Amino acid sequence: MIPKLNYVAPLSLKRTLKILSENKKKAKILAGGTDILPGFHINSKRFRDIELLVDIKKIGELKLIKEFKDRVEIGACVTFSQICESDTFKKFFPLLVKSAETVGSVQIRNRATVVGNCVNNAPCADSVPPLLVYDAKIEIQSLKRKRVISLQKFLIKPYSTALKKNEVVTKIIIPKPDPDFKGDFYKLGRRRAVAISRISLALLLKKKAGIIDELRIASGAVTPIGARLHELEKFAKDKKADSSTFKELSILMGKKVLQITGLRWSSEYKLPVLQQVFYQLLEKVNEEE
Amino acid sequence: MKKNKILKKIKLRFTLNGEPVELETLPNKRLLDLLRDDLNLTGTKEGCSIGECGACTVIVNDKAVNSCLMLAGEINGSAIITIEGISQNGNLHPLQENFLKFGAVQCGFCIPGMILSAYALLNKNRRPDEETIKEAIAGNLCRCTGYKQIIEAIKNTKL
Ligand code: FES
Ligand code: FES
Repeated sequence: MIPKLNYVAPLSLKRTLKILSENKKKAKILAGGTDILPGFHINSKRFRDIELLVDIKKIGELKLIKEFKDRVEIGACVTFSQICESDTFKKFFPLLVKSAETVGSVQIRNRATVVGNCVNNAPCADSVPPLLVYDAKIEIQSLKRKRVISLQKFLIKPYSTALKKNEVVTKIIIPKPDPDFKGDFYKLGRRRAVAISRISLALLLKKKAGIIDELRIASGAVTPIGARLHELEKFAKDKKADSSTFKELSILMGKKVLQITGLRWSSEYKLPVLQQVFYQLLEKVNEEE
Repeated sequence: MKKNKILKKIKLRFTLNGEPVELETLPNKRLLDLLRDDLNLTGTKEGCSIGECGACTVIVNDKAVNSCLMLAGEINGSAIITIEGISQNGNLHPLQENFLKFGAVQCGFCIPGMILSAYALLNKNRRPDEETIKEAIAGNLCRCTGYKQIIEAIKNTKL
């Protein structure tokens, strides 16, 4: 059941921001709707107080993927299907494409938005780990100002972000990575389609003559929210890119996740799996030329 | 329900199975309910209500979507196709013919959604391979057939 609420679809960002500032407590932005509508159905606490849905899909500029020399921008209404089909993304951000392909089903990907995935900030948000290793930034707009913050700072805790009630995320900005980076994305779900991730990992590796120059690692689902693992990244810097370093890193990965999440009933089987897939992913990326 | 909120009806214009439609409806109505209750198009089914089963699949602007995950307001200005709209001059659509021919229908509950997912696929890609077909119907659950006949039916459909 959808609660009693009103629906508006403003044609401009300005109008949207005005509506938000006038209805601070009660209004919520609607983009793909693939989290909000099921949320209503299960009477989720998170969506109970909404009195007005502000659909931003009629605002043309928010539907675009824009490529610049040094960066690509994803508008707030860009869907996962658009990412899957974008040559720009295939070329510069293959990890994001790979993660987008694992989201839900065709029907979900046709509606769900990348920005929505970040704003919802579920622990299992599939696009978050790739966006984190690509150092994505979030552009946020209110009537009075525009601010840009890193995705990492934007994500605060499960289902909560730095977004204020009177603000809209207008786009995600991703710098084009150094072409020397190789990387991969891994997701483990209970089944192939429409599966919530149990483990997801994104990594980017840049080597110089067999030495790790930069390693970026982000996890999803096993950590409370998608997160970069900076300690591991630092540990890897300037080490040899070989099995023994990767083994050490995998052990560290297990320790780190245990430290973040504490011991859980699932740790006993999840951690060894996590360590193993992380290790394999490192080996795989390292072999790529 | 807290407070007595006043619901403002919304006006919608869209095309439905090729015909222009104009109507007013409640702002908190799902597309699924608009189709089934207001427009009496009960070929679109409700299974899980949360985007997992695909029984409610319809086509919006050439794309397969779950109508349980959309509000009626969101289709303003769009072109909608439901299972009722794919037959041609009273003849079953080739996909429907093949679903019958290949024994791909048992209880039938998943079939409207299944066919529309296949319809969206074939309109984009006339000769999909088996993997592509599986991917296209991954969001449609069938508890009866085991999918094999469904995949065969789709694979053998030439538009
Ligand atoms: S009823 Fe919509 S996906 Fe199940
Ligand atoms: S035929 Fe019964 S669910 Fe598919």
